[in-house]
Amino acid sequence: MKLSRTACAALLAGAAIVLTGAATAPTTFDDDETALIVSHGPWPVKTDADPSNRVSGKPAAIAYGKTLFESNDLSVDRQRSCATCHQADLAFADGIMRGIGLTRVDRNTPALFNMRLNRWFGRDGKSDSLWAQSIAPILDARELGMTPTTLKTRLATTQTLSDGYRQIFGAAPAAHEAETVMVNVAKSLAAFQETIVSGKSSFDMFRDGLAAEDPAGIAGYPEAARRGLKLFVGKGRCDLCHFGANFTNGEFHDIGLPHFPEPGRVDKGRYGGIQQLRKSRFNLLGPFNDDKLRATAGFTRHVRLTPKNWGEFRVPSLRNAARTAPYMHDGSKATLEDVVDHYSEIPEDRPHQDGEKLLRPLNLTDAEKADLVAFLKTL
Amino acid sequence: MRRLLPGPVLCAALLTAGPALADHCPWDTLVALPGQLNDGGTAVAYKTNPARIEVGKPFSIEVVACIDDEKHMAPSRIRVDAGMPMHGHGMNYQPSERKIGPGHSSFDGMVFHMPGHWQIMFDVYEGDKRQRLNQKISVKR
Repeated sequence: MKLSRTACAALLAGAAIVLTGAATAPTTFDDDETALIVSHGPWPVKTDADPSNRVSGKPAAIAYGKTLFESNDLSVDRQRSCATCHQADLAFADGIMRGIGLTRVDRNTPALFNMRLNRWFGRDGKSDSLWAQSIAPILDARELGMTPTTLKTRLATTQTLSDGYRQIFGAAPAAHEAETVMVNVAKSLAAFQETIVSGKSSFDMFRDGLAAEDPAGIAGYPEAARRGLKLFVGKGRCDLCHFGANFTNGEFHDIGLPHFPEPGRVDKGRYGGIQQLRKSRFNLLGPFNDDKLRATAGFTRHVRLTPKNWGEFRVPSLRNAARTAPYMHDGSKATLEDVVDHYSEIPEDRPHQDGEKLLRPLNLTDAEKADLVAFLKTL
Repeated sequence: MRRLLPGPVLCAALLTAGPALADHCPWDTLVALPGQLNDGGTAVAYKTNPARIEVGKPFSIEVVACIDDEKHMAPSRIRVDAGMPMHGHGMNYQPSERKIGPGHSSFDGMVFHMPGHWQIMFDVYEGDKRQRLNQKISVKR
């Protein structure tokens, strides 16, 4: 006898009761919900080397990139490195509202997990590759404060960095143009960052169990998280933007947050990001893309700049969400509870609401909010 | 001996003769494509590549349009765009056109970045006159 997926899900849920000893009826999922849940995996996603970066996936470049990532020689005052803001024990973020390099920046420091899955980089997507994005903090006067020339000099005069560079790129930094040295440094940094991949979460175990119709696989998943997951793919409609194995569509939305990092100064978000992308020499249409056929440049070639891009920011992955507080592009939400409150009570009369009809207040009960947070913590 | 028209006059004549010299659309190709739309004598046929549109993945769309389904005349221009009417937004990407022939183009760089109900708009021009034909498409996660 062949069971429907719904019947299977009910049976599996029943088995979970027996295994966990839960007293109340467990949350079950119908066929549609099960299909949606299964679409959030499998995890991890298999990725290939980045064709735009000839040292992507190369062990020597990965090791050199890690050295560079942790080196204070990449900052103008030799007091900070990439790892100052992207700390391994803080999910490669910094745990504070807005990042602090040489001075405070306007946005929250993003975690660096699973970067190879991204299409756009930076909160505003001003970069179309991880290596191009890696250039940005090196040159930003608020972050590491270097120039291509000072970076080249620093590498040329620091023995370990110079030796590593020569090993990978076949010549000493002094033999290359400053801009080339900077791009090669960025490509090594990218090669390292691509290796920062998060492991299987308890959600992944549950998802795999559901996909395989394996009672043991789903047994340990908390009941509150199941209820939260049902909201996530149902009433909450969260997975319209946070879909797929990485829980993001990789694109940009205005979710009703303030556009002003300080009074009188606006953060243009995606609008500014596209403007910067288009004028950058380091985008995938430019001379430093190692993919000579430019097959990697399709999104860059076709990206569209419209007024609706004002105040849009990249939809973040929700993986490791419990470890990446504070939240939002400006770090304005301290906890996951605050994030859920935002979506539950988002004002319908907010600015730009007419351009994006998708977001409506969810009006969640306190119990539903707690369940949604419980689910997010399993990612 | 027959006198030729002076060069500038000939050029002007050719430039203004556009509608009179309109090409035929590739009707045989049109009827062979899987997607078919027709409204008020304007016929559009299309094929996406890949055939199944995946959310977040780029695709191209081959389009054939005829502004007169009796005489099989090619339009002066075809334009393709898409949006999610219920969400109030369009695509984040601007398709680029590759002309294949009269009334026959392929548009690259289409991306449906969210699951749900999309609408592809085919704008078929005869000079300044535009006719829009819509195709609803549902995209799943």
